[in-house]
Amino acid sequence: MHDFLSLLPLIIITAGAVLLMLLSTFEKTNVETASYISMGFYGVAFFVQLVIGCGPEVTIFDQTFNGMLVANNFSMAAGLVILGCGFFTSVSGHSYFKVNQFCTLEFYSIMMFASCGMILLTLAHELISAFIAIEIMSLAIYILVGYDRQNVKASEAILKYLMLGAFAGAFFTMGTALIFGAAGSTKFMAIAAALNMTGEISPLLLGGSFFILVALLFKVAAFPFHAWVIDVYDGAAAPVTGFMATALKTAAFALFANFLAMNNVMHSGWVTFLFYLAILTMFGGNLVAIGQDNIKRMLAASGIVHSGYLLIALVALNAEQFSGSVIAYYLAAYAVGTLGIFAALSYLSGEGERRADFADFKGLAKVHPYSAAAITVFLLSMAGIPPTAGFMGKFYIITSAFNEGQVTLAVLGVVSSILSMWYYLRLIINMYFHEATDTFEIQGTPLATAGTFALVFCVFAIALYPVVI
Amino acid sequence: MFEYALSVMIFLPILAGLLLLLCPVSKGAARAIGFIISVVILFIGIEIFLGFSGKSGMEYVEHHSWIPSLGVNYALGIDGISLLVLVAATFLFPMVFSVFKTKTKGFYGNLLLAQGAMIGAIAATDLILFYVFWEIMLLPIFFMIGIYGGEKRLPATLKLTIYTIAGSLLMLAALIYVGTSYHEQFGKWSFNIADLSALSLGGGFAVLAFLMFMVAFAIKIPLFPFHTWLPDGYTEAPTSATFVLSAIMAKIGVYGVIRFVIPVFEIEFTRFAVLFSLLGVAGMMYCGLAAIAQKDMKRMLAFSSASHMGIIALGVFCLNVQALAGSLFQIIAHATSTGVLFLFVGLMEERLENRDIDSLGGIAYRAPVFATFFAIAMLASVGLPGTSGFIGEFLIILGAIKFSSFIGFLAGTTLVIGVCYMLWMFQRVFFEKSKESTDSFADLTTGEILTFVPVILLIIGMGIFPQSFLEKIEPTAQQHIAQISAVSQSQVADTTVQNPGHNNHKN
Repeated sequence: MHDFLSLLPLIIITAGAVLLMLLSTFEKTNVETASYISMGFYGVAFFVQLVIGCGPEVTIFDQTFNGMLVANNFSMAAGLVILGCGFFTSVSGHSYFKVNQFCTLEFYSIMMFASCGMILLTLAHELISAFIAIEIMSLAIYILVGYDRQNVKASEAILKYLMLGAFAGAFFTMGTALIFGAAGSTKFMAIAAALNMTGEISPLLLGGSFFILVALLFKVAAFPFHAWVIDVYDGAAAPVTGFMATALKTAAFALFANFLAMNNVMHSGWVTFLFYLAILTMFGGNLVAIGQDNIKRMLAASGIVHSGYLLIALVALNAEQFSGSVIAYYLAAYAVGTLGIFAALSYLSGEGERRADFADFKGLAKVHPYSAAAITVFLLSMAGIPPTAGFMGKFYIITSAFNEGQVTLAVLGVVSSILSMWYYLRLIINMYFHEATDTFEIQGTPLATAGTFALVFCVFAIALYPVVI
Repeated sequence: MFEYALSVMIFLPILAGLLLLLCPVSKGAARAIGFIISVVILFIGIEIFLGFSGKSGMEYVEHHSWIPSLGVNYALGIDGISLLVLVAATFLFPMVFSVFKTKTKGFYGNLLLAQGAMIGAIAATDLILFYVFWEIMLLPIFFMIGIYGGEKRLPATLKLTIYTIAGSLLMLAALIYVGTSYHEQFGKWSFNIADLSALSLGGGFAVLAFLMFMVAFAIKIPLFPFHTWLPDGYTEAPTSATFVLSAIMAKIGVYGVIRFVIPVFEIEFTRFAVLFSLLGVAGMMYCGLAAIAQKDMKRMLAFSSASHMGIIALGVFCLNVQALAGSLFQIIAHATSTGVLFLFVGLMEERLENRDIDSLGGIAYRAPVFATFFAIAMLASVGLPGTSGFIGEFLIILGAIKFSSFIGFLAGTTLVIGVCYMLWMFQRVFFEKSKESTDSFADLTTGEILTFVPVILLIIGMGIFPQSFLEKIEPTAQQHIAQISAVSQSQVADTTVQNPGHNNHKN
């Protein structure tokens, strides 16, 4: 009973995806209905996940499919973030596709398939099933990125992402093979036991785990595998970018954390490597972000910086008593902020996303004061200014870093957030301190607007009642 | 009823400010709401001041758990250190609302938000809570300068914001370091300042964390050489924002040093005291000299305000009761004198649309009441006996001489510079020949007179009867100094025994 329950949200989402796929054969169902259906399924799955995950036990079930999947509080929290992202992406898609009409029913179906892969990824404690989950997720995301076939930028984005993603997938399989050769199993439990026997990482295992880390670093867009992210985020439609930036990152980081936290030997073997990567990711991302004039590209680059902060959390995690609460909280905080901005962009950027640059949003506060205020809240949250969720997330990460003795990393994380103030403030300054030149007519349905304000509420709710799992 | 007085003082303005920002309210109604709220806060403030017993402990304490897993609490309280800063933050706001009528509702909303956040920062006894309010209070200032400021407002806003946020993020790292050290030493989490003072820190990280705290507060005060954002920021800001920045926000920087840095970093503080007090004196001199050269009245006052902040900071670094009490006293004296001078300049600007000292003149003939009020505030600012400024500066200089006669001498002589630029400016603007530009200058209206009379009375009252204020400050100041000297002496003795050359080298 229990193992079924822990998989129930996954099953619900899959059922929704299949249902939408079937419905798309009927001419009568239109895109709006599809977005309502997907919202409904995401909502139900979210609620079920919440009910199951809210129990007092830390590990809800750890023997599903002979230990291949483990449901614990961390996976539940990550799953909640992913389901929430799916919900709000459907909401903003509802408005966005009213204006940019290249959407068909399959869009929502594919998005839900992607979510299936992501949720499976949060549960996976075995390399083959992790690989399958990654591929389910990635294939769906490739399609979503290039959904607008008329758009050259989208085609460029999908080509880049597909090629590089295929490489990353190959690295992952290679790593799996090497690890299997070294440890005789692909299960994390068994690998951990093998590591404990020797007390150090054998060369074969080292190589295998290196390849797996490369694949994961690619997925989370960490230095030096971050170059794709700018063009891909820019080319994809705003709701898709929002979904990729949040849900995909959540799923990838969940597996990343589970893999590293498998045992102490594995974690301590990679700490130094990740230490330097975290620093380079934060500062590299900042340098890229400062130079951008386009908001989506800036957000893509700032996503790299946030990956850097999450890498700090990975360096500072305690493999003995891993709870993942810091990582899950930061992912949730980052997700609400980013989703919020993309939801706002969905209804503000207009047909063909013609408002995309910082300069295009000059004077927004004079025309739409509430929308401008909402975007400001999201930006401040991403910048880590209290009393927003982003501040709490940063606070937890820096606290965990200090607590594990990573003082350098904590201080550099703070320095990096000083740098990132520049590009977050830049948009606020454009919105507030200039006269409006544009009329900023809002097209599409009011749903995205409602979603934006719901997310503003979430930013404060998560911050002021921090449920550290 | 006064059990939750501090919470009410924090959240009433914040909620009212948010409501003003979110709801369509007319300009006049917004100003009226702002005025009423600030008067309500003023009455609660007076009640707290009168009800404060001054027995060197926290009063009006509130304590609720916020993030239990990290020991972060919603903890508020007022003691002798925060009392006068709180008074400054409550007494002066109604004036802003009653004097300036031309702003939009967004401006009044931001002003209320700033007040709530500042009171929060003053009343918080938990470091994280303090940090939260500390950051929030910057946001309304950011918008006030950026939207309603002068011509060159954009660079000024950016400079101020990036500067202060950089400082406060460094402070965030430092305060988390303090929290984790507490966790290491005592096995539980706490960010409460009373717990943290039990902490014994040492080594390079402690010095680093101390410097990070100090940089954050030094930027806010602003202490030389972190003052470069100030002239632009103060000049470009609309007058009421300048007033808030100079009269209250700068004081919260000083207050932060006294409240959070001294109890936690006793050893580092004593070690660096000479350096920082020299910085204070250098700031006094540099900003004073710069003020003489200014042509713009507001810019001149900006430098003068920075110069006076230097002496307040000096009082904190002198490590004795007189200087500390003097600084706390001077906090409110400075707010009522220099802060109010900014308001007067704002009034002049509203009437004449001109702040250029050379093109003004003869205002005293046109507006005798205005000139008198201005003169009283100005004389308090230069420290004339019988005004509030004298008591504060006297105590600080006294303490400074006890601390080091050289620094005391420097500080005492530097005060003369203040007299120079103030009186010279006064002569050029209010006397000499009356010029065309000032011919039509109207004197204060009855409403304005009524607004300013209480402050003018306060300036004189504090100068003549300082004891009613000092008796509330001194017990806490004494306790504070006793604590720091006890810890640092034992510590200095230890280091001297182990490594004789070490101590001399540091000093």
